[in-house]
Amino acid sequence: MTTSAAPTLRQSVALVWRTLRSMRTALILLLILAAAAVIGSLLPQIPNSPERVGQYLDDHEFWGTFFFRAGFFDVYGSWWFVLITALLFVSLTACLFPRTRAMIRAVRQRPIHARELDGFRHHAEVRVGTGPDEAAVTAARYLRRKRFRVSREGLGVAAEKGVLREIGSLLFHWAFFLLLLGVIVGKGTGFTGRAVVTEGETFVDALPNYAGQIRTGRYFSGGFTGIGFQLLDFEDRYRPNGQAIDFVSRVRFLDRDGRPTDTEEIRVNHPAEAGGLRFFQEGFGWSPVVEVSLQEQRLWSTPIEMARDDAPEGVPATAMPWRGAIKLTAPEPDVMITLELWPDFRAFANFQLTGEPTSMLGQFDPYIRYSVYAGEITDPALSTIDTTGLRRIGGSDLHAAGTSTFDIPGAGELRLSFSELRQYSVFLVSRDVGIPLVLAAAILVLVGLIPSLYVSRRKVWIRAEAAPGGSLVKIGGFALQKKDAFEEEFDRIVRGIGGREAVEAQPEERVGTS
Amino acid sequence: MNWARISSTSFDVTIWLYLGAMVLSFAYLAARRDLLWVLARVVTIAGASANLVSIVARGMAADRVPWGNMFEYSTVLAFLVVVGTLVFVEGVARIKTLTGFSLMFSVLTLAVAAMFFPVEPSPLQPALNSYWIKIHVVAAITGSSLFAIGGIATILFLLKDRSERRALAVGRERTPAPIMGGAVEVDAPHDLLPDPEGAGGASAPKRGGVLPSAAALDRVAYRVIAFAFPIWTFAVIAGAIWAQEAWGRYWGWDPKETWSFVTWTIFAGYLHARSTAGWKGRRAAIIAVVGFISLLITYYVVNLWIVGLHSYKNG
Ligand code: HEM
Repeated sequence: MTTSAAPTLRQSVALVWRTLRSMRTALILLLILAAAAVIGSLLPQIPNSPERVGQYLDDHEFWGTFFFRAGFFDVYGSWWFVLITALLFVSLTACLFPRTRAMIRAVRQRPIHARELDGFRHHAEVRVGTGPDEAAVTAARYLRRKRFRVSREGLGVAAEKGVLREIGSLLFHWAFFLLLLGVIVGKGTGFTGRAVVTEGETFVDALPNYAGQIRTGRYFSGGFTGIGFQLLDFEDRYRPNGQAIDFVSRVRFLDRDGRPTDTEEIRVNHPAEAGGLRFFQEGFGWSPVVEVSLQEQRLWSTPIEMARDDAPEGVPATAMPWRGAIKLTAPEPDVMITLELWPDFRAFANFQLTGEPTSMLGQFDPYIRYSVYAGEITDPALSTIDTTGLRRIGGSDLHAAGTSTFDIPGAGELRLSFSELRQYSVFLVSRDVGIPLVLAAAILVLVGLIPSLYVSRRKVWIRAEAAPGGSLVKIGGFALQKKDAFEEEFDRIVRGIGGREAVEAQPEERVGTS
Repeated sequence: MNWARISSTSFDVTIWLYLGAMVLSFAYLAARRDLLWVLARVVTIAGASANLVSIVARGMAADRVPWGNMFEYSTVLAFLVVVGTLVFVEGVARIKTLTGFSLMFSVLTLAVAAMFFPVEPSPLQPALNSYWIKIHVVAAITGSSLFAIGGIATILFLLKDRSERRALAVGRERTPAPIMGGAVEVDAPHDLLPDPEGAGGASAPKRGGVLPSAAALDRVAYRVIAFAFPIWTFAVIAGAIWAQEAWGRYWGWDPKETWSFVTWTIFAGYLHARSTAGWKGRRAAIIAVVGFISLLITYYVVNLWIVGLHSYKNG
């Protein structure tokens, strides 16, 4: 490295710093950030709706690939979004340090005195009956009473008011760092997962129980609490017209040893908290309890969490049947049973007769149609109903509390009994230790913002001079903001210092009379 | 006559009264007869009263707060824009000539609501049944109405500013420069420009067209937007609190959240432009107009065309 390179480097750093310090840079960065956020609302985003991103990629090959490379499908996680945010914060820092230093100096310092009072935007002169010393003291006292910061030196008074504007503004801007900290710590160390639990069953906070439906932060330690809860029951309530009133899960929380702690209701808008985790009511569905045995040997007895078919345009979602699968790998060959559930048999019957869909808002003689497949199961996950590699060998149906048998050639008699229909509830489980910080930051933003916009900074100077019959008090002042409002305030100050007749003793008049 | 009927009847009455008041206000702009102004105000106040009746009756009919879906937001927004204009623009800033444009905005808002998202009064869906959303929506509509007034004033400012510049340019060609130099510096901040109408509007000796001076419009736009900004900030915060309660995350870049952030950012940019970057006048005004457009997108486009968790236009 040559010696001449060092100053150039320093110079360029200084240039970058100066650029970042300029308000105009901050403004432009702010507008670029807004523009970047817009992109994210126009294109589907991977974290929110991956299926729609896939759809988009299929439909628009060229632009899709281009957008994908540019990170337009994950704008808020893209390097350039992070870069803009980072630059904004650097710019903010560059702005805030000098301003904060200046503000602290201004608060410590006494108001600065002025020599010439005639030059200010507002000025007036009043006569008072007391001597100049006393007049200055009285004026200073008056301004102090009006909550100005006042400094008096002999016959001169300097006063100012409204530092709160700058304090508020700084508070507002600094609060964004707290916000950033809260977001980074909270999202970084936390996670969000989805728990699907059938009535009567228990969920424990441990990685496998989220069944892959979990997103962890970058700095997530991997520590799950091991606490759990049992879903006592779930209730969905509707009005006669089918509009939902409420969805309520009653749960009993369990500590890490499985001992019950307390019972709570989790409803939409009313999450529950336990062990640093928050549980939100997110969804629900039907879980038929179907027991399956082959040749008298029990192979299956757990509830199956079913998924509802997507409703076509114009059909209420509640009119659609539910689907699920039972996968048995013990027999040879593997057996898969696909189930189609109609929680309300009347809706099924009506659909068969008239083709009209009917909403099913509760269970009424629940009804299942099933198909049996044999072959080799490639994906043991229950959430997929993929029949490739399998051969349909038949099917039948059964009602709740009913039993149905089916002969599998070469394997024997398959026996299904549909003992009961329960509901399952879906919970969002999240851990975010940053929330209190974010909330505090939001409050500080608001608390700082209000004075930074509405308080105005104003300064007033006073000089008393001896005059026949008392003294002449010269008053000057100006406001940095809200200049109209200050005009009235200034008149009030003049009157307050000079008494009733003050306004008449305008400088012009004095010129005429003296 | 039940509450729902009262609500929908007074809704129709509101549209007609606002329309009449708008015509009268524009007639006042053209003719400057005080009688027209008085008439316009009487009809405006009658319209606002009918609007209020419509809102309250809607609440009675649905047995809840009357701001649960797009139709209801629009009814409240129209009301607040008219009342906000009467209070802040006519009352505080003493500008009489903006009200016709605010009435036009409200008529359009109500007409769009009646055409595109009419819904019968009905209870709220569970996700909306939270007191945070009641607070959030009130703040969002109040902020929106003030931003809208600021947007209207800014658009008028841009129009007026252009005609004033033209007049100034013509005036310069005709008259020799006064002794004191140019007297008016075109690039000076608008605060320093002479204000031919004063803040008072009609009392000016010289009448520069139908609108108040550019400086007066600029000032009222800034004040209204600066008043709206913390309210909007609060609305975004309340929305985040509600999102945390309802969906388990305070911010998820859902389209509605994204656009309210964009609107917020643009107006923050406007305030910065005005206060520190030294972008007075036209450049700052353009930012405010962009903010106004962003507000309309947040309000209409996101609700109607972009899916998200907030898409509850049907209540
Ligand atoms: C992160 C986004 C930012 C937001 C939302 C924001 C918002 C605001 C607001 C609302 C004001 C008050 C305006 C007024 O007093 O009329 C303000 C003032 C100010 N901001 Fe920012 N700001 C941001 C970033 C920045 C940055 C990065 C800088 C530094 C370059 C900065 C520097 C200033 C300064 C110097 C003022 C003084 C205003 C005054 O007291 O007149 N701001 N800001």
